[in-house]
Amino acid sequence: MNPQVRKIADIDRVIHEPGRLMIVALLSAVAQADFRYLQHETGMNKGTLSSHISRLEEAGYVAVLKTYRGKVPQTLLSLTATGRSAFEQYRRKLKEAL
Amino acid sequence: MDQVGKLVERPRLYSNIDGVGELGIGFMLLGFALLQWLQVRAPEGAIWHRMDTFCIYVGLMCLTIHYGSKAIKKHITWPRTGFVAYRASQHWVAAAIAAPIGALVAVGMSIALRRRWDFTTPGALIGLVFVAVYAYGFARTVRWKWIVAGVMALGSLAIAFLPANLIAAVANDSWVTHLARAEFVGAWLLSMTFFGAMLFVSGGISFWLYLSHTQVPAEEGQ
Repeated sequence: MNPQVRKIADIDRVIHEPGRLMIVALLSAVAQADFRYLQHETGMNKGTLSSHISRLEEAGYVAVLKTYRGKVPQTLLSLTATGRSAFEQYRRKLKEAL
Repeated sequence: MDQVGKLVERPRLYSNIDGVGELGIGFMLLGFALLQWLQVRAPEGAIWHRMDTFCIYVGLMCLTIHYGSKAIKKHITWPRTGFVAYRASQHWVAAAIAAPIGALVAVGMSIALRRRWDFTTPGALIGLVFVAVYAYGFARTVRWKWIVAGVMALGSLAIAFLPANLIAAVANDSWVTHLARAEFVGAWLLSMTFFGAMLFVSGGISFWLYLSHTQVPAEEGQ
């Protein structure tokens, strides 16, 4: 395979999906953010956002913590060390490929 | 900057989405201006010249800003547009940026004072550094804040180039002039009042716009 094409093929497909890329990019800059913040920034509906978060959680990129703010349930999300390094690698590979 | 880079930067810009950052700095500058005005107006030996009064005043001001900002975030911002906890390292980055700027200002000030330059030089320098910091921290996130930055730059130059006797009139005949020149005290008092008022108004507009463009969501789980 052509090395340039191989670089594109090597890109992390979990992160590469636009919705998940937005989530990972936003979480990469913070220690923690809640579900509402991600919804506000990405403009996704709850169902879509939840499914992307589940996919990222399965991949071990995002840690999900269910808690309460007063009496209201709150979902806190953060990028794991694996997720952080995968995102950095993704950005590097994308730059090389382009 | 690429699109991903812009996304990565968004959480940092989110910290002042409600204008609370500007309100806090504006409140602090106005608080210091009020204290300085009280010191200028009070006779020798008044409580406003005492170090313990200064410490209590500054302590109360810092507590008000800290807990006031926290209360707004907790009861207004987080329920509307979400909660974000920043990484500790980002505070170090901010400190690393602020420290050389502060040092530059202090060095500029001391050189200007030692050489007995006209007070317009440090006044203009500090004002423009402040405007540059404002432009980087706040104005580049919201377009209309460039107008605020422009007005602040013009105001800073106007204060710096006001006639010395007019500036000195603010503090003339004050006991404080035994410690510092009247022009210096006057320039600081005018600058802090002007910048504090500008930031307070800008933060207030941001806060009002934030409230009118966001809604309190129904109390439901996330």
